[in-house]
Amino acid sequence: MPKLVPTSRRQFLAVSSLGSAAWLAGAHASAHAPKGARSPAPATTRPYDDVAAKALAASPVPSDAALAVRAVEAAMKAGATYADARLVLMRRERVGVRDDRAQPVRLRERYGLGVRAVAAGGWGFAATQTLSERAVVEAAQRAVQSARVGGTLRDELGQPPVQLASTPVVEGSWVTPHEIDPFDVAPLDKASLLLELSAAVRKVAGVSFCEASFEAVAEDKLLVTSEGSRIHQILFRVAPQLQATAVDRRRGGFSSRAHEAPAMLAGWEYLRDLPLAAKAESIGHDAVRKLHAGRVSPGHKHVILAPSNLWLTIHESIGHPTELDRALGLEADLAGTSYIRPDDAGKLRIGSELVNLFADRTQPGGLATVGWDDEAVAAQRWPIVDEGMFVGWQTTRDQAHFVGENESRGCCYGEGHDGVPFQRMPNLSLQPGPQGYTTEDIINSTEDGVYITGRGSWSIDQQRHNFQFSGQMFWEIKRGRLTRPLRDVAYQANSVEFWRSCDLIGGKGTYRLGGTFGDGKGQPMQSNAVSHGCPPARFMANVIDTTGGEP
Amino acid sequence: MSMGKKEAKRLVDLVLAQASFGDVRVRVTASTRGHLRFGAGCPTTAGDVDGVTVEVTASKDGRTATVTGSRTDEAAVAVLVQRAEGLAGLSPVDPEHMPPLSASKPPKVKAEDGAVKGMSAKVRADLVGRAIRRAEGDRVEVAGLLDHEHHAEAVGNRAGLFVYHARTEVSLSATCRTDDGTGSARGGYVSHALRGLVPEALVSDAATRASASQLPGKRDPGRYPVILTSQAVADLLEFLVHALDARRAGEGRSAFSRPGGGKGAGKGTGTLVGETLFDGRVHLWSDPTDPANPADPFEGEGRAQGKVDWVVDGELRALHASRYWADREKLPDLPTPSSLHMDGGTDELEALIAGFDRGVLISRFWYNRMLDPQRLLVTGLTRDGTFWVEKGKIVEPIRNFRFNDSPLSVLKKVVALGRPQRAGLSRGRVMVVPPLVVSEFELASGSDAV
Repeated sequence: MPKLVPTSRRQFLAVSSLGSAAWLAGAHASAHAPKGARSPAPATTRPYDDVAAKALAASPVPSDAALAVRAVEAAMKAGATYADARLVLMRRERVGVRDDRAQPVRLRERYGLGVRAVAAGGWGFAATQTLSERAVVEAAQRAVQSARVGGTLRDELGQPPVQLASTPVVEGSWVTPHEIDPFDVAPLDKASLLLELSAAVRKVAGVSFCEASFEAVAEDKLLVTSEGSRIHQILFRVAPQLQATAVDRRRGGFSSRAHEAPAMLAGWEYLRDLPLAAKAESIGHDAVRKLHAGRVSPGHKHVILAPSNLWLTIHESIGHPTELDRALGLEADLAGTSYIRPDDAGKLRIGSELVNLFADRTQPGGLATVGWDDEAVAAQRWPIVDEGMFVGWQTTRDQAHFVGENESRGCCYGEGHDGVPFQRMPNLSLQPGPQGYTTEDIINSTEDGVYITGRGSWSIDQQRHNFQFSGQMFWEIKRGRLTRPLRDVAYQANSVEFWRSCDLIGGKGTYRLGGTFGDGKGQPMQSNAVSHGCPPARFMANVIDTTGGEP
Repeated sequence: MSMGKKEAKRLVDLVLAQASFGDVRVRVTASTRGHLRFGAGCPTTAGDVDGVTVEVTASKDGRTATVTGSRTDEAAVAVLVQRAEGLAGLSPVDPEHMPPLSASKPPKVKAEDGAVKGMSAKVRADLVGRAIRRAEGDRVEVAGLLDHEHHAEAVGNRAGLFVYHARTEVSLSATCRTDDGTGSARGGYVSHALRGLVPEALVSDAATRASASQLPGKRDPGRYPVILTSQAVADLLEFLVHALDARRAGEGRSAFSRPGGGKGAGKGTGTLVGETLFDGRVHLWSDPTDPANPADPFEGEGRAQGKVDWVVDGELRALHASRYWADREKLPDLPTPSSLHMDGGTDELEALIAGFDRGVLISRFWYNRMLDPQRLLVTGLTRDGTFWVEKGKIVEPIRNFRFNDSPLSVLKKVVALGRPQRAGLSRGRVMVVPPLVVSEFELASGSDAV
């Protein structure tokens, strides 16, 4: 443990001549995140209120429940040993503006039934958008037929049959805690707000362009299994985007600055209450500041990563490598494998003793938070990394036995009705340190380093060893102080070396969620929505000037 | 479900008949898709998915909304049109809205293969079984995907536009890994037709390369001469296709912006069109009608894809643009292309290696991301076979590298071009490009990934 240089908060503020203190504090000033989103709290009972009851009552999906039951019956009759059917209604809305122009409002709706079956020891799946008894029975029969063909081939190749961990039979419903259904707010109102934001951004001298949007997703799904489970869930996810671009036409250069407010499992109230208007001008100033920012002096040094940057690094360097299917080689053809082997749990140290991570599908605001997963396993919280030691996998019912476990961790998800459900990432979060450090404390105790916020370019190899991430804003740190803004910075490291170098972690008050709708995996590729909570933390990495030092 | 031209026309007309606005466009797609995955030498999941989308774009006085649904009965379609028109009424004015496209003459493209259209679970399992057995014989662990699709699409509007296209696509990808986990290679086939797919040959070739890549040695990062396979070239050129956007160039926020901008508007002023940017042998073009590699003949609004020269003799000739931008800047009406071809020579990869003095052979790239759009600087990693070549021979496999470099620089530094071929792992856009020898490429750091 390094010794912290004692400095007062006031002293820190005094050195921040560029108004960076306000920027520093404001960068994640989402005081309006859903209740509980800013603390890595253990699982609590779920709120179930009038709004949830109203959403469930208004859903058109339960009226087709008989078709899901029929599909499961047909699959079992055709010889399946297990079957489930999911009715999924996905609605997506995007309202966006560019500069002073509204873009066409986009509303996409997809509804259908997907049926999954195990037969002859193989998996089969079929999906249809035709919601008639005949169509769903045909789909069920096709799923069983393809399961049987696959199972027979498994057998011929000497491969074992699919083996499912048991799970309690449940009947239940769950709705994202929310105040306002984001689809109840008129696009015109959303666009008006965005146009105001864009105008405020573009008022800043030097800013040439602004792009802003609100995205909303409603996932309304009903699962029926041959074991007797029946679950209805409605999930709301929302995401803001605000980006300024400054162009220096004369010298031929430009730079962009994207706002860092995260996507959230929440209703419209989250977007409504974000302090976007208060931030708009500073986003514009940041874009110009980046255009004229200095070059980093490259080398092996400290990086202090704000939660708005670190969440994605967690996702790529710990989230994906702890997916069991990757470690088993099942994703080798596209996503890749893992630096962690199936028998490494409890044996492989992947971080310093300060590093603790929990997977948690109960985290308020977490994009992967649910009541149950897509094969009726209840949402849960479990350790992935304990004091630097890798201890737990992400699993589904057909994977648990590979690591000697009797129950699934509840990580099964299929995108829409027509994506084959498989293992997807839960919310996975770095726990705050007990010392209660602030971002300022960590900066103050750093001799030579870079402070990085926001999501930039990211890339990592197929076994998750070598990564390179950029960010939105970069500040040089010298002798415990932020000295000047930088541009074209990235940090490159080996995942395990990076996490083992973690020597300072922020306290509870600095914990924030980040997340994405676009966690891609599988063949054919599917998107998962997932969040990662974290405090700011300090690491050693190879800091590079991405232009190679060219002017 | 498969949708023929007549059925597509009926559906488009059904939608348009519900419209009360004059400016309504509809795009319908219908697809039948199936797949079988395999991993660790074992078939895993399989799926059969039928899908229909009906996308209605309604516009009045510049207020526009697009609504997409998945049902085709008259009542559902009526609701969809009402919602699009209702939503448009609630939307702000888009000053860049263009009047409807009244005519479009996409080229005739034959892209349907009966064997792919009718593919069953049994045929899938047979192809995958052959792939897995070959891998067992070659003593490598195999993972991959067999995927097949029939896709039909039509676009129409109330100004008289109607275009239709149907295609099939089949692909097999297979990654072979050696037992010790130190060697890996990937093979891929993608085409509208099944007849060229031989799973044994694909796997055998990948297995041979996987074995050759076993126990890689370490080389320091640095700037090296490289040989890029067709697939590696395609991986980089995908970024170039996006960067050929006229508006971003004209607005000063692209690698193709002219420093200092230009005077006035029109004819792509402010862009680098007309400049020689690359080696004189570089010729980049698009053509959806190439019989061996058919591509989509129109894009989502119904705009035709034609034969276009983007770069000739190293000179940038054209950029693609939205209808609005093309109209405003008086540019040719060129949508983002559905195919990219690059001319080359007649040498196979082996001949390029034989003529190469010293440097790195790169099989493909992975996790490629834009680092700096101003320079079109891209980062990513080498994957599935990286080799050290000396005096015309592969000397040893070497571990993978992260690269930070630009396709612009690659096309400037071309030393030799091989025979163009379809990049078998590139889906979506048809890419037919040659392997290249490049004088210098930035391999920034090492990666232990296999």
